[in-house]
Amino acid sequence: MKMKICLLLVVLSAGCSKKSNTVPVAVLDAPAYFKVDAASAGSISGKVKFAGPRPRPQLINMEEDPACVMAHAGKAYDESLVVDAHGALGNAFVYISRGLEGKNFETPTTPVVIDQRGCWFRPRLLGLQTGQTFKIVNSDPVTHNIHPMAMVNREWNHSQGPGDDPMTRRFIKPEIMIPVKCNIHSWMHAYIGVLDHPYFAVTKDDGSFEIKNLPAGTYTISIWQEKLGTQEQQITVAAQTNATANFTYKGKS
Amino acid sequence: MFFRPWVVSMTMAAVLLIVCDGCRSHVQDKPIGQSVSIPIPLGLPPLPLPRDNPPTADAVALGRALFYDKHLSQDDSLSCSSCHNPQTYFTDGQRLSKGLGGLSLRNAPTVMNAAYLPFQFWDGRALTLEEQAASPIADPLEMNQPHNVSVKKIAANGEYKAMFVETFGSDDVTIGRIENALASFERTLLSGNSAFDRYQYGGDQTALTISQARGLAVFLDPNKGNCASCHTVRPHDALFTDGKFHNTGEGVGDLDQFSDIGRYHETKVKTDTGAFKTPTLRNVAHTAPYMHDGRLKTLKEVVDFYAGGGNSNLYLDPEMKKIHLNGTDREDLVAFMQSLTGEMPPNVGPPGKK
Ligand code: HEC
Ligand code: HEC
Repeated sequence: MKMKICLLLVVLSAGCSKKSNTVPVAVLDAPAYFKVDAASAGSISGKVKFAGPRPRPQLINMEEDPACVMAHAGKAYDESLVVDAHGALGNAFVYISRGLEGKNFETPTTPVVIDQRGCWFRPRLLGLQTGQTFKIVNSDPVTHNIHPMAMVNREWNHSQGPGDDPMTRRFIKPEIMIPVKCNIHSWMHAYIGVLDHPYFAVTKDDGSFEIKNLPAGTYTISIWQEKLGTQEQQITVAAQTNATANFTYKGKS
Repeated sequence: MFFRPWVVSMTMAAVLLIVCDGCRSHVQDKPIGQSVSIPIPLGLPPLPLPRDNPPTADAVALGRALFYDKHLSQDDSLSCSSCHNPQTYFTDGQRLSKGLGGLSLRNAPTVMNAAYLPFQFWDGRALTLEEQAASPIADPLEMNQPHNVSVKKIAANGEYKAMFVETFGSDDVTIGRIENALASFERTLLSGNSAFDRYQYGGDQTALTISQARGLAVFLDPNKGNCASCHTVRPHDALFTDGKFHNTGEGVGDLDQFSDIGRYHETKVKTDTGAFKTPTLRNVAHTAPYMHDGRLKTLKEVVDFYAGGGNSNLYLDPEMKKIHLNGTDREDLVAFMQSLTGEMPPNVGPPGKK
C-alpha cells in the first residue's frame, strides 16, 4: 500500500512582513516501510512453563444472565491461568520489547477478530499492530458491551446487540496490555497487546510459541501473563537460524 | 421554560416565511366556538393549551379527518396515520419510517402525549404541534407535497367545506388552518391510567406485580437504574420524559462519530452532538423498535444497552455513568416497562370508527 502524504509547508516570510503567507503544498511518498530480507532473518521459539501446582478448574457462574447459561454450551471454566498436565502454560503473550527501534513496519491489512460467543471473549488473548483493524463480532443472542480499559490509547466501550453488524476499531499507540471487559457480564475478560511491529505470539496450550522472520540482531524478548506478570531475557538471533527462549514462572510461594 | 431569544426570533422568522408563502391570506386561523375540555387520564398533568388555537369540538373532528387523509401526500398514498398508526400506539412499528422519498432517517415516535412536550421531533426542531404538523407534509422524504397543493386538494374535497365553516367560520382552506386542526386532534391523543398509574397515583397496591414494583424502584433509584433522571416521574404525574436532549451514545459509529448529529443540528452547541430528545416510555411495550434510529429491537436490548453504560463518546451524558444494574434489576426493569401500557382514548381512530 503506497500512501501519499500531503505536507503543508507554511513559509513564513522573514521580518514579520504583513504580506499574505504562501502555502505551497508538497505531495511526498510515505516513508518507506522496513522490508525484512528473508536471507538475513531468523526466528525464536520456545516453551513456557508454570512450576507451581496446577490450578484447579474454577467454574464460572453465569446465572446472572440466563441467556448466557443457555448460550455457553457446557460448563464455563476460568481461563486466567491455563496449565496443562506437564506444567505447560498457555495464553501467555510473548513479544519483542527492545531491539526494533527505528524500524517502521507496515500495518497488516487483515483484521484481528474478537468474537463474543457463549458470553465469553474468543480469543481471550490477542495481539494487534498499531493501526490494524480490530473487528468485534457478537455471535450471541444477548447484548454485550465491550470495554477495552486502555491507559495509553483511548478508552472506550460499545454496546452490540444480538444480530448487530460487526464493528471495527483501531489502537493507535503500542500498549502492553489492554484489559478488556464486558460492561454487562462481569465474568468476561480478554487482553489485547498492541505493538508497532509484527513480532509477537500467544502461547498455545502446550506452552509453545514461535516468532518468525525476525531480522538478525540482539533483542529483549518479554512475556506477559495476566496472573503471573512479566519476565524478559536477552536473545541474539542469527540469520537462517532458530534461537530458543524458554520461560518458567515460579508458583506462588 | 425553554425559550431563548434567538429561538423565538427564528421561530418568528419561520412563521413569517410561511405567511409570505402566498398560500395564506388574511383569513383567521383561530377556531371559533367553545374550547372543549379534554379529559386527562390518571397519571398525566394538566394539558397546556395555546391561546390562539383552543381545541374546539369542530377543530378536533376536522383534525381527525385530516390526520387520516391521504390527500396530504403527493401521490395520495400516505396519511399521518401511515406512520402514526393507532394500532401500534401511533407509531409505525418500523425501524425507520418509509416515506415517499424512501427511508426516513429516523424512527417514528409516538404522537400520544406529544401535546405535553416542549419540543417536537428527536432534535426538537419544532416547538409546538402546530409548527410540527406542516413539516411532514412538505418533507420530500415523507409526504412530499408543497403546501399550496395540499390546500388545493383539501379545498377541492366538498366534504371538508362544512367542516371548515363550522371550525373557522369560513370555508377558506389555509395551511395554518390545517396545522391548527391537526394539532387540536393530536391534543386529544392522551394516554394514561396504566397499571403503573393505578399503583403510583391511584393507590392500588395490587396493580403492579412484585417484579414490576421492584422494577419501578430500580427505575427511580439514582444508584441503580437512574432512569428517572431523564424519564421523569413526578409526585402527581409522570410523562417519563424531561423534554430535554441527552447523549446516550446511541448512534455512535466506528470512527466515534455520529452519522445523525441530533440536537447539534439545531443549536450548533458541540456538547449537543448526538443528543436526542428523551422519548416518553408510556406504551413503550407496544412501540418497538426503539431509539431515534430504531436500532434496538426489544426492551431487553434497551435495558442491556443501559446496563453496559451505552456507548462511549466525547459527549456522553454524565447521568449514563451512574447506572448500575444486576441481572434481576434488568429483568425487573423490563417487567416494569410493560406496566406502562395505558388506555387508548375514544374517538381517535379513522373518522367514522370509534
Ligand atoms: C413517512 C412517515 C411519516 C408521516 C407520513 C408522518 N410522520 Fe410524523 N414523524 C415521522 C418521523 C420519522 C418522525 C421523527 C422525525 C424526526 O424527529 O426528525 C415524526 C415525528 C412526528 C412528531 C413529533 C413527536 C415527538 O415526540 O417529537 C409529531 C407530533 C408528528 N410526527 C406528527 C405527524 C403528523 C401530524 C403527520 C401528518 C401531517 C405526520 N406526523 C406524518 C414519520 C412520519
Ligand atoms: C441521560 C438521560 C437518560 C437516562 C439516564 C436514561 N434514558 Fe432512556 N432515553 C434517553 C434518551 C435521550 C433516549 C433516546 C436516545 C436516542 O434515541 O438516541 C432514551 C430512550 C429510551 C428508550 C427507547 C424509547 C423509544 O421509544 O425509543 C427506552 C425504553 C429507555 N430509554 C428506557 C430507559 C431506562 C429503562 C433507563 C434506566 C436504566 C433509561 N432509559 C435511562 C435518556 C435517558
